[in-house]
Amino acid sequence: MGGESRFDISQNAYVKLVLHALKHKSSPVNGVLLGRVSPQKDVVEITDSVPLFHSHIGLLPQLEISLILIEEHYATKGVNIVGYFHANERFDDYELGSVAKNIGDHIYRYFPQAAVLLLDNKKLEALPKGKDRSPVMQIYTRDASRIWKLAGSEGSSQLTIKEPSANVVLLDYISTEKWKDIVDFDDHLDDISKDWLNPELFK
Amino acid sequence: MVSKTEETQLSNLENQVDNGGGGAWEFLCLVRKLKVRRSEKVLKHGLSILRDPKNRSSLGPDEWTLYEQVAIAAMDCQCLNVAKDCIKVLHKKFPESKRVGRLEALLLEANGSWEEAEKAYSSLLEDNPLDQAIHKRRVAMARAQGNMSAAIEFLNKYLETFMADHDAWRELAEIYVSLQMYKQAAFCYEELILSQPMVPQYHLAYADVLYTLGGLENLQTAKKYYASTIDLTGGKNTRALFGICLCSSAIGQLSKGRNKDDKESPELQSLAATALEREYKQIAPDKLSLLSTALKSLKVSA
Repeated sequence: MGGESRFDISQNAYVKLVLHALKHKSSPVNGVLLGRVSPQKDVVEITDSVPLFHSHIGLLPQLEISLILIEEHYATKGVNIVGYFHANERFDDYELGSVAKNIGDHIYRYFPQAAVLLLDNKKLEALPKGKDRSPVMQIYTRDASRIWKLAGSEGSSQLTIKEPSANVVLLDYISTEKWKDIVDFDDHLDDISKDWLNPELFK
Repeated sequence: MVSKTEETQLSNLENQVDNGGGGAWEFLCLVRKLKVRRSEKVLKHGLSILRDPKNRSSLGPDEWTLYEQVAIAAMDCQCLNVAKDCIKVLHKKFPESKRVGRLEALLLEANGSWEEAEKAYSSLLEDNPLDQAIHKRRVAMARAQGNMSAAIEFLNKYLETFMADHDAWRELAEIYVSLQMYKQAAFCYEELILSQPMVPQYHLAYADVLYTLGGLENLQTAKKYYASTIDLTGGKNTRALFGICLCSSAIGQLSKGRNKDDKESPELQSLAATALEREYKQIAPDKLSLLSTALKSLKVSA
């Protein structure tokens, strides 16, 4: 029943993903979305996110180990993987590439209402100039047809941010270069003392 | 590629300079030597040296190297006016220089004037057809415009002539991986391992690609290369340790029901699991139980 859900992302989950992309401006980055279906079953609540990689995104071993560890950690909190975030290498690339689609497909198998979010660089760039409250991401969903469809702004597959002032907060973090503090799974694998949960990030 | 010690050295210097402790010139030299990309810092600290006439003259002939370094950093940060100014200074000092010509073409690239940049590079190549840096700019331009097939074509042609250029092989491998052309990526890493067999990063990357390709034979070979990575890094490479566990698990899955003639010895995987648990216990103890559960789910016992 894909393509019919609404997606509501928490400010922290949202900001983490964008900051991660800003930390690694010259490479593609990705992350997983965690959450649950709302009790009324009409909204997928994205409550958290984990930034994954900024190098060799098309390789399996690191992806597999990260998903195992992430799933295990969040299962104890009653939360599971509900989607995937991707930011392309190039500023003007709005295509959902094959790597992103493959990873999205994998997540879809476990959670058919999964969403794939793609960073929208134009929107991100325009943030300081306007009062846009909508997320700087495009959202894709799929159904059994195996095609990831871009959601239109009036479509039912909408992405909203839970906290309306999230973009203001994001801009503030950008101006203080908060993206320097983000730790992703790549960082963790290079130095396991770095925590991919980013527990101190928003304190 | 930068080693951990070099990375630490660089970070320390960077912090020192950022906090007013001096050492800007040493930092800039180290960035140049390690060929890392720290454009915002280079721009900031390089400019502060260049704008002070006393500092500038104390550099001697290195002043021009600094102008070049700052010009490139400025272009990376899209501060094109700064870049233009630096290039102007260099042009005045070295009017016939091909090196400055390259910078001017790079500025065209930064502006997005691809055709003009291409023309500039072509004419520079006419006079010096073996200029490696220019050949690589062509690859970079193709990549920047999203023309991956052209980038691959240029790189392959480049490597026919300059087959000892490890950076180029790595770049090609990365492009192949991003396009999910794993067999071709594997070939690149094979070349790198052949020419530099003691560099663990190549063994690791090769193993990662083989694992991604999948299939029993590839998994068994991947396991060997994770093992050689562990060997070359004194057992300190977390990714390789995880790799062993993943391979063992995948091989086990694939071998179910097949004859157990070439059953894997379980020692390697339990050694890897033990090493991982020891590492996590010491450095990231709050993640230890998570790790143990994960290893259990991979059916790898410590």
